[in-house]
Amino acid sequence: MPIIVNLDVMMAKRKMSLNELSEKVELTLANLSILKTGKAKAIRFSTLEAICKALDCQPGDLLEYTKDDVL
Amino acid sequence: MIADYRIYVLKIKIYCFSINIYLYLACNSKFSVMKKNTKQILSVLQVATWIIFIGLCIKAGAILFSFLVSLFIDPAGAKNLYLELNLYALKDYSTFHYVRLGSLLVLLWILKAYLFYFVIKIFLKINFVHPFSTEIAALILKISYVALAIGVFSVTGNAYAEWLTEESVVLPVLDEHLGGGAEYLFFAGIIYFIAQIFNKGIEIQSENELTV
Repeated sequence: MPIIVNLDVMMAKRKMSLNELSEKVELTLANLSILKTGKAKAIRFSTLEAICKALDCQPGDLLEYTKDDVL
Repeated sequence: MIADYRIYVLKIKIYCFSINIYLYLACNSKFSVMKKNTKQILSVLQVATWIIFIGLCIKAGAILFSFLVSLFIDPAGAKNLYLELNLYALKDYSTFHYVRLGSLLVLLWILKAYLFYFVIKIFLKINFVHPFSTEIAALILKISYVALAIGVFSVTGNAYAEWLTEESVVLPVLDEHLGGGAEYLFFAGIIYFIAQIFNKGIEIQSENELTV
């Protein structure tokens, strides 16, 4: 998928654990794990807003677009 | 003769009535998923499906058994294969044609039982919290294929019986056994269409499950 979720990078920058983030954004660990591992197919604006608020960052810090390699 | 005709009409009426009840229950269960009595309706449907399945198995088994008896043990068995299904004249005319038509009848009833077997499997496997699964989709698709096979065999069998009648073979009314071919073909098309919609539902459900 050409959209990469840099949640782990931002969490490392803010030195925040997945448990802590889970409590702050009121999301289950399972859902945050789906987001972190890049398995998620969509993200709600409300979730994005909560994560940005908890990590004090912009949506662009969390999401990145890369071109698909054509083989 | 008149009594036979009346019994035949009565049978059709009972058959139509049971189909109406079945459809009514099916529609009610579809539109009242959140209602309290849904479980009861589904249970009734499940029991009805089991009854129909067992009935069809018995019918298929009875015809198969008496057909084999008429072939290998007692040729007079062809006089009453199942509830006065008399194919003795055909057997007398040609054993080859008798075997072909008899096999077709047996195959049709087995396929009808097989169709209801898949319906039962759907009832056993469906989960109304996450109803869209590849397993259920595969079963729906199988139902459409079996219905298609029933339709094709029924139409073929009807044409074959008509040809035999033209050859001056006295055959009984075979509508109960070979009738409804066009309906089954239509049914197969509808079920195939539903299977395709179901596949789309699986995609949407998986997308919904992976939306954070």
